Amino acid sequence: MDGNNRETAAPEIRGGEHPETRELIQVERLTKKFDKLTVLDDISVSFREHEVVSVIGPSGGGKSTFLRCLNLLEKPTSGRILVDGVNICEKDADINRHRQKMGMVFQQFNLFNNMNVMRNMTAAPVKIKKMPREEAEARAEQLLRRVGLLEKASSYPSSLSGGQKQRIAIVRALMMDPEVMLFDEPTSALDPEMIGEVLDVMKALAGTGMTMIVVTHEMRFAQEVSTRTLFLDGGRVEEDKPSRELFSNPESPRLISFLNKVL
Amino acid sequence: MFFSNVWSTLEKYYPFFLEGVQNTLIIAVFTVLFGTILGVLMATARLSSFRPLKWLATAYIEFFRGTPLMVQLMFIFYGLPMIGVTFPDVPFIENFQRFAAGIVALSLNSCAYVAEVIRSGIQAVDIGQMEAARSLGFTKGQSMTMVILPQAIRNILPALGNEFVTVIKESSIVSVIGIADLMYRTNGVKAKNYRTLECLFIAAVIYFILTFVSGRLISWSERRLNRGRK
Repeated sequence: MDGNNRETAAPEIRGGEHPETRELIQVERLTKKFDKLTVLDDISVSFREHEVVSVIGPSGGGKSTFLRCLNLLEKPTSGRILVDGVNICEKDADINRHRQKMGMVFQQFNLFNNMNVMRNMTAAPVKIKKMPREEAEARAEQLLRRVGLLEKASSYPSSLSGGQKQRIAIVRALMMDPEVMLFDEPTSALDPEMIGEVLDVMKALAGTGMTMIVVTHEMRFAQEVSTRTLFLDGGRVEEDKPSRELFSNPESPRLISFLNKVL
Repeated sequence: MFFSNVWSTLEKYYPFFLEGVQNTLIIAVFTVLFGTILGVLMATARLSSFRPLKWLATAYIEFFRGTPLMVQLMFIFYGLPMIGVTFPDVPFIENFQRFAAGIVALSLNSCAYVAEVIRSGIQAVDIGQMEAARSLGFTKGQSMTMVILPQAIRNILPALGNEFVTVIKESSIVSVIGIADLMYRTNGVKAKNYRTLECLFIAAVIYFILTFVSGRLISWSERRLNRGRK
């Protein structure tokens, strides 16, 4: 479809539903430094439509920074990030427009504390996309029903559990109809008994064909749900393979020792 | 003995004290009004990402918080006229020149404190709130008005109420440039009947009533504001 012929760009697609998909995000020579500390060191990687990619690695390896660079919550020190072929690092790039196409889910949920659940979900589409309020609310109700939280529509975030907050944070991001969803350790701040409910929502989302990039410590999610896994360590992509292969046949010594520790 | 003297002083001179209270309140209200308006602008400048503006605002805030109000007041009322900067006299308002100088000095001073109150109130809101708003595609300004400020206002209002109480007390300093506020009138009565202790006692009680009542009013309105919110 797009004539790409790099060897790495042939991820296994679940069930073979999407044999040919276009490249959505291309990261070229991305480097991020905080003062003298190099957090991301010359990373080049690309993501295709409908892929579900897990990003794993030890703490401080640059996983979150990498994800945050993709929607410019962190400004790359150098390198290019092409989304639909447009370099979003250019000075005149429309960052706000770009971010509308990229949903983001945070470790700390970050629901707006001053708004109830319904307003949390409808604020962006109504204000930014000028969607009529009734339409936005109908869509929000539909999404809330899907994650089993319709009865919480008028609750404030402070009265919700962590798992509920995170499920709502996910559907809030979906309200903008993003092309890709970024997850920054979505289950790390949750009590163990709530992790399952959030992972279920993410699995269901993956099943709809949503493109997802997930920074995670949940190795089972990486293994079972994601089509491809990146191992990030020391600011570099140490290994980048279809998930099954990466877990069953790790190559780099660092990945082997990492997997020994976490599995 | 003491209290009967207090009583007789009040009986004879209460119009003076009342006039003093009136002027003190006029000055406090205008100071808080201008101080808040200027303080909002100053806080905006202080949080601006345009460096020179941010630097100027920081310098202003540091300077006005780091020098005595007395010096600032004297500087404006006695100092500035030396280089030809004076406040105009308005015929139908008595002592307008003095009032203007007093209110300007207090407002410029209060503005620095209000700016800090607002800045810290805004920065106390979790950074994740801003990031979540930006990640949905809101501009910085939209994120501010829709998400950050509504949360910051709850941190800001109580501190702003304290600032109003502080201004009532601090405003007593304008008596030195001859504004007939409560302190000035107290000194006047003292000079007439030589009952220093009684007069100062009356002044203290009146100031306390003013600050206590406004303090209660402020916390009452805060409670009303928070009502209906979880």
